[in-house]
Amino acid sequence: MENLIGFGNGLLVALQPENLLYCFVGVFLGTFIGVLPGIGSMAAISMILPLTFYLEPTSALVMIAGVYYGAEYGGSIASILMNIPGTPSSSITCIDGYPMARDGRAGIALFGSAIASFGGGIIGMIVMAILAPGLAELALNFGPTEYFAVILLGLVAASAVSNGNPIKGITMVVAGLMLGTVGVDITTGAERFTMGIPEMRDGVHLVIVAMGLFGVGELIVSIRANAKGAFQNEIDYKKFYPSRAQWRAMFAPILRGSGIGSFFGALPGTGQTVASAVAYAVEKKVSPNRESFGKGAIEGVAVPEAANNSATQTAFIPTLTLGVPGSASMALVIGALMMYGIVPGPRLLVEHSNLFWGLVASFLIGNILLLILNIPLIGLWVRLLKIPYRYMYPTIIVLICIGVYSLNNNVFDVWLTLAFGWAGYLMRLFRFEPAPFLIGFVLGPMMEEQLRRAMLLSRGDATVFLTRPISGILIAITVILLAYAIASALRARRRARNVAAALSETEALSTSKKG
Amino acid sequence: MKHFLAMSAAALVFAAPAVADPGKWSDEPVRIVVTFPPGGTSDLIARVLAQYFESEYGQKAVVDNRPGAGGTVAADFVAEQTPDGTTLILGNNAPFTIAPTQFEDLPYDPMGDFTHIAYLGASTPALFVQPSSGITTIDEYITQAKGDGITYGSSGVGSITHILGKAVDIELGIEQIHVPYQGSAPAIQDFRAGVLEAYYDMVALNGDLITEGETQPIALAAPERSAAFPDIPTFRELGHDIVIENWTGLSGPAGMDPEMVKTINDTVAEIMQLEPVIERLAQFGVEHTPMSAEDFTTFVEGTITTWEPLIKAANVNG
Repeated sequence: MENLIGFGNGLLVALQPENLLYCFVGVFLGTFIGVLPGIGSMAAISMILPLTFYLEPTSALVMIAGVYYGAEYGGSIASILMNIPGTPSSSITCIDGYPMARDGRAGIALFGSAIASFGGGIIGMIVMAILAPGLAELALNFGPTEYFAVILLGLVAASAVSNGNPIKGITMVVAGLMLGTVGVDITTGAERFTMGIPEMRDGVHLVIVAMGLFGVGELIVSIRANAKGAFQNEIDYKKFYPSRAQWRAMFAPILRGSGIGSFFGALPGTGQTVASAVAYAVEKKVSPNRESFGKGAIEGVAVPEAANNSATQTAFIPTLTLGVPGSASMALVIGALMMYGIVPGPRLLVEHSNLFWGLVASFLIGNILLLILNIPLIGLWVRLLKIPYRYMYPTIIVLICIGVYSLNNNVFDVWLTLAFGWAGYLMRLFRFEPAPFLIGFVLGPMMEEQLRRAMLLSRGDATVFLTRPISGILIAITVILLAYAIASALRARRRARNVAAALSETEALSTSKKG
Repeated sequence: MKHFLAMSAAALVFAAPAVADPGKWSDEPVRIVVTFPPGGTSDLIARVLAQYFESEYGQKAVVDNRPGAGGTVAADFVAEQTPDGTTLILGNNAPFTIAPTQFEDLPYDPMGDFTHIAYLGASTPALFVQPSSGITTIDEYITQAKGDGITYGSSGVGSITHILGKAVDIELGIEQIHVPYQGSAPAIQDFRAGVLEAYYDMVALNGDLITEGETQPIALAAPERSAAFPDIPTFRELGHDIVIENWTGLSGPAGMDPEMVKTINDTVAEIMQLEPVIERLAQFGVEHTPMSAEDFTTFVEGTITTWEPLIKAANVNG
């Protein structure tokens, strides 16, 4: 009830003309910047940060938040149309979104992504409104042991992501894990695989990997494949409204994705990328349509988008109620609040309840604005594909360079992206899938960090993973999942063997008849 | 040609008084390089400086964030720029005090490649323990550390809080179990989840937790007690000579004009006296002490030598 009153007050705050205006400016700017490859919410927020110093705190926060989730939405547009993740967390959206665009179904993919983002955003907002105080408490109970257990669960789920050749899938996961070890080891300070280059000490940034593998790699492939444009003639401009069957196919995945996203968003230190990776992996396991994942399944677009948008909203929970930023962008939000003398923490909900509820209500308004803004624009975005490649490619390359450079204002990162571009090209040439690689790269370093920290804290006693209740339950789920995966793989093999046996039998019969 | 000469003459005439303006040292916008991404304390201090350089002295200034490799990427970049006052770095202990000892292959010389211009101030870290542990004094802490042992969180290997932990190990004759984090925020989160027994962090950033009774400060690594937290004793007054401060200052590439250095130093000193600036910096626990450019240079050099054994100890034992 208290929450409802709070939300009502918040709605009044959010509907004030100036807040409405800043919310619109925020989501508009965010979408636009999100579409630009590599320039994610972090760069976008730091760009508008000086602007917000002149605003009232609530307006400033509403605008910053708008940029943040607007960028998350916009990121999927570039992922779908050009296979270039506009933001790191939308790199998972590339996996199915781009194949859809290649099939001439870009409009439906964009529409699906918009609806999923909207659904995810609204569910994330509801979760935040109802559970903010409680979730903050739960997140406080998550120590390294629990983080390790939840990431392990994610990785086991992700092992099912690869299509086809399992050897190649495992190779890619391991390659991702290995790339994740590059940089200064967090636990000992030792340099690993840095080759004496100072820029490598912080490891390889996800944006660089994603832009290289997906973006630049794709460009090289396309140049080789067809200089005139591979799919520009097959697009149906009018058709972006999903069929009834597609609506139905998306419904459950959006709910599942939002649930997973809300959970990971509220955990500081995981965030949208992990959320969308895990949600995709889980969906791939449970979806009735799992065979078509990776080849242009609408569910494969809806799930990561629902997950990363709900995570974007719930990421504000630990940021505002604990003062613990879950990501670099959230650290910026804290920095902005500090400029106003507002200290995020457990007392923020009490002392600045209008700010908190105003923000929550602005999520509702912002998400509606995004939907209104973007549905009519789908036709326009799809038309982007009509631009001849000779204009498109140089533009994309320039945008990628700017985006990567803006990470650290360092040219080294641009060269590194180029190197990953060639790696991506070779991967595609030899049909290695990027999805397991990316998931290994995202989850691996985090899992290592938490594992070693948990071991340090338990003074070398590995049983803590089983004796602490939350982590014990998570480990149990992981074991069950693993057992199920092995059992179903064995069953599949037995079936295959039976089929093969039956086939060879009939073959033997027919040959014997002939003989 | 005649035209060109006239233009040059005009440029000279107009340029000279502009530079002579009190507090303004360049007609070009000045770039203040920050070693961290936007949003942190360092970035906010740089933005405050940039704002007042322009509003009070008409000196245009922009903040340029170049994070990476513990500030060494930014320092290396600044060392290679022209020493004309248009590129400055908001330096701190990471690239100037710690890196020279920590990294063997540092591409720059922290003294020879820079002109150290103005000291801005320092914030101080303190030792915090769980309130539920019942520990309130340093002696109880020593007893606990020698008995069951203590796990403490730092903001990373080779970070200032880790070095403080090492200094405490050496000075108090104990061996705490070091648990490194990426920054202090996740360490504090684990502390509040009850999995960490202690941590070291900047005292000013823990004001709320202290008043809420969520954390128990034991001792401060400052030479004197802090005005904002008068109840926290210093290590020194408890009989342990440990002073570790997180200093911040402005530096430029080597070979800057001494006149210009003096102008910048004076300008910074004036800005640091402004009431809103003092207030803003107090939020981050940064207290300013005026210092000439010469004293600041000696100060930086001093920190490198005094911290060296601690940094080595921190790296050897992880």
